[in-house]
Amino acid sequence: MKSKHDKLIVAVVSVLIGLVAGAVIMLILGKNPFSAYYSLLSGCGLAPKARYAGGKNILSDFSDYLDFITSMFFAALAVAVALKTGLFNIGVSGQMLVGGFIATVLIGYSSLPAGIAKPLVMIIAAAGGGAIGALIGYLKYRFNINEVVSSIMFNYIAAYITGFLINTRYVDPVSRQSKDINEAARLTLNEIKIGSYKYDIPIGFVFAVLAIFAVAFILDRTVFGFELKAVGMNREAARYIGINVKRSMVVSMLLSGVLAGLAGATYFLGYVSTIQPKVLPSTGFDAIAVCLVGGGSPAGIFFSTFFLMIISKGSTYMSSQMGLDAEITSVITGLIILVCACSGYILQVMNRIRNGKEKKEGKA
Amino acid sequence: MPFFTVSAMDNEYIIEMKKITKAFPGVIANNDVSLQIKKGEIFALLGENGAGKSTLMSMLFGMYEPDKGEIIIRGRKERILSPSYAAKLNIGMVHQHFKLVSNYTVTENIIMGMEPEGKLLGFLPYVDIKSAERQIAQLSEKYGLEVSPQAVISEISVSERQRVEILKMLYRDAEILIFDEPTAVLTPQEIDSLLKIIENLRDDGKTIILITHKLEEIKRIADRCAILRRGELVSVLDVKSTDARKMAGIMVGRQLVFETDKKKAGFGRDILEVSDLTVLNRDGFPVVKKASFRIREGEILAIAGVSGNGQVEIANAIAGLMKIESGDIILDGKSIKDLSIRERIEAGISYIPEDRQEVGLVLDFVLRDNLVLKQYYKNPFAEKGIRDGKQSDKYAYELIDKYDIRSARLTDTIVRSMSGGNQQKAIIGREIELNGKLIMFVQPTRGLDIGAIKLIHNHIIEERNNGKAVLLISLELDEVMDLADTIAVIYSGEIGRIAPAEELSEKEVGAYMMGVGGHKTEGDKV
Repeated sequence: MKSKHDKLIVAVVSVLIGLVAGAVIMLILGKNPFSAYYSLLSGCGLAPKARYAGGKNILSDFSDYLDFITSMFFAALAVAVALKTGLFNIGVSGQMLVGGFIATVLIGYSSLPAGIAKPLVMIIAAAGGGAIGALIGYLKYRFNINEVVSSIMFNYIAAYITGFLINTRYVDPVSRQSKDINEAARLTLNEIKIGSYKYDIPIGFVFAVLAIFAVAFILDRTVFGFELKAVGMNREAARYIGINVKRSMVVSMLLSGVLAGLAGATYFLGYVSTIQPKVLPSTGFDAIAVCLVGGGSPAGIFFSTFFLMIISKGSTYMSSQMGLDAEITSVITGLIILVCACSGYILQVMNRIRNGKEKKEGKA
Repeated sequence: MPFFTVSAMDNEYIIEMKKITKAFPGVIANNDVSLQIKKGEIFALLGENGAGKSTLMSMLFGMYEPDKGEIIIRGRKERILSPSYAAKLNIGMVHQHFKLVSNYTVTENIIMGMEPEGKLLGFLPYVDIKSAERQIAQLSEKYGLEVSPQAVISEISVSERQRVEILKMLYRDAEILIFDEPTAVLTPQEIDSLLKIIENLRDDGKTIILITHKLEEIKRIADRCAILRRGELVSVLDVKSTDARKMAGIMVGRQLVFETDKKKAGFGRDILEVSDLTVLNRDGFPVVKKASFRIREGEILAIAGVSGNGQVEIANAIAGLMKIESGDIILDGKSIKDLSIRERIEAGISYIPEDRQEVGLVLDFVLRDNLVLKQYYKNPFAEKGIRDGKQSDKYAYELIDKYDIRSARLTDTIVRSMSGGNQQKAIIGREIELNGKLIMFVQPTRGLDIGAIKLIHNHIIEERNNGKAVLLISLELDEVMDLADTIAVIYSGEIGRIAPAEELSEKEVGAYMMGVGGHKTEGDKV
């Protein structure tokens, strides 16, 4: 169908424009953009580096990269699910923090064996995030409070309450962060030795991929997903056909919160193992951009996460190799998002023209 | 310069609109309309909703530019490209929906955008509210507006807010005042005082344009009246010398005669019984007042009325989209007033809503999904919460065939890209196939071409012949006269007359629609 092509074109064009603009800046700074971009890939284990530290190779870089992007899959899906129902969940970060924090204190510091601790971490984080999401949905349902406002406010509430509890109870006096969780509860298997190399293996990645298929299935094939989309596209019509619009919104926010909670688990109890008090993970905000570039569809999100994260993950290595500031990658990402947002507009105009033509032809 | 010669000739007219044509995608809002309005008269624009009154005036007010034709103000040809340019030409408009900041005072609202500046200590600029308040109080007194300059908007009544809007125009030295349906929101007493105010304004030399579909008001204050129908100017009448009934006739006028093969009616048992139905709008204002009627099997009951008189709210209340304040709705012997929307659908109510794009369809869904929009969750389209796309597709193809729904990519067409007629056919097909007991058509043919209208009329009659109870709500008198077995006429939320179609003449229905039909007499019961 044409609309799917459109989304792909928008994404590809904006990525290209972002990269070209980035290249121009690099050229102005007197650096070779090709080697800079190559170093981005190398930083993510997608291209060989010139030299590796002890116990590292291209595969260990790649698995580290997968570890890095796992939480982004969940977070971007969280944004997408809400968006399908016409809601803007800008509070993914707060929901991640709540889910991650509760899982950390309940399971992360316990002595449960890995086989019980790991699934529990995911379940508890999902429940924590889901509870906040559902609460935001309920506030909208019951009191008509705009979800954007309440989810931003919950971000602060989450950051300060968890920050307070960490500082008073769970702080590591040296790092000033929450104490490291036990390895048994961690969703990333650290420094697994295979041959002479050590790998960080993200268990969560498998679930992230499953989540993408699950969300796609829910939206495309189930009655529930049909209702979410109908509510998102036309609330009046949804009501007219007998859908309980308000309940759909609460359930959608619940599901969004669950996904955000899983993002929190794979981030705070996976990629890292501590929580910095009073700091919201940027993942939840970046997820909005990732979702936008991915056109809001699960398949699109899979690719946009994969590509956009190369730019942020590879930036450290690029900056050390090229002597370029890592911030240049933020410029590139920013440009991609900007163009993407604009292209959406341009395509809309194109569509309108095309639809106008179709109408005329149809009538003739 | 041709327009200079024009100005020399016709300078008794303050406004001349010549051969104005304005089209929107798919609709011609105004077609070759020419008007001349004299200085110091109350000129009424009469017509049904969608007749193009507001569009015509919006062009005068700078909201749209005409595609063709010219506008001459005080003998000069003008291109009015914005409301602010219209204001420079001393043209002001009171919109149907007021444009006021509710937590500002009357004065602050009025002076907004042209605040009088004072100089403190000779150099510090400040907004001179005091002098503005004095000026507004004077204006208010002069025209009998009775508005307190210091009152806060949120604390004053609707009619006072309207008077603030009038003051806003006067403060800006408007000479030409356009009122868009000004009495729609007012009580009878408030209407009296507004009409008085309008007369005061005229007596002071202002030119008034009154957009309305209420004949009574025109009869009371207007000097001349232009009647628009379907975007075209039908006639300009001198109000004093024209009978109200004649105006009503011209306004709703009959232009298309359809031959519909309607069999003689054979009514069965009562399907729908509405008793003493009262419905409030969002502001708690009753829009349907104690309406009662029944529809039997094989009967088409048409509710005739000018737009905005509560007829759509009746359909919405039956469908469950609007809460009912009091009264009861009985479907096939059971009260449905406490059922949810979906439960009512399942109980056998099909509903073709007035707004096919915003309510009847999800425009960004494909045709297939729109055709199963009321059944997607049921067998065979879904089982245990999982949808069966193949079944939906098969069903959608059947409907496309049966109802002649044309689209570029068949079941995969995004409905937004389809023409209005085909969108409506999709809704009608979907609703008829639900095979309920009651089927409600609200404005089923609005904006459609003759072919589609005929097709839809045939469907309506077929449903009746199949023994369904049909509720038809239409603003087109032709449609009502052609199709109805029983006609109920609604005016201002009340059903003024209900009788078998053969007992009512078109003229009579038209008069009741305008609220000038007199009162119910004996023997009117069905």
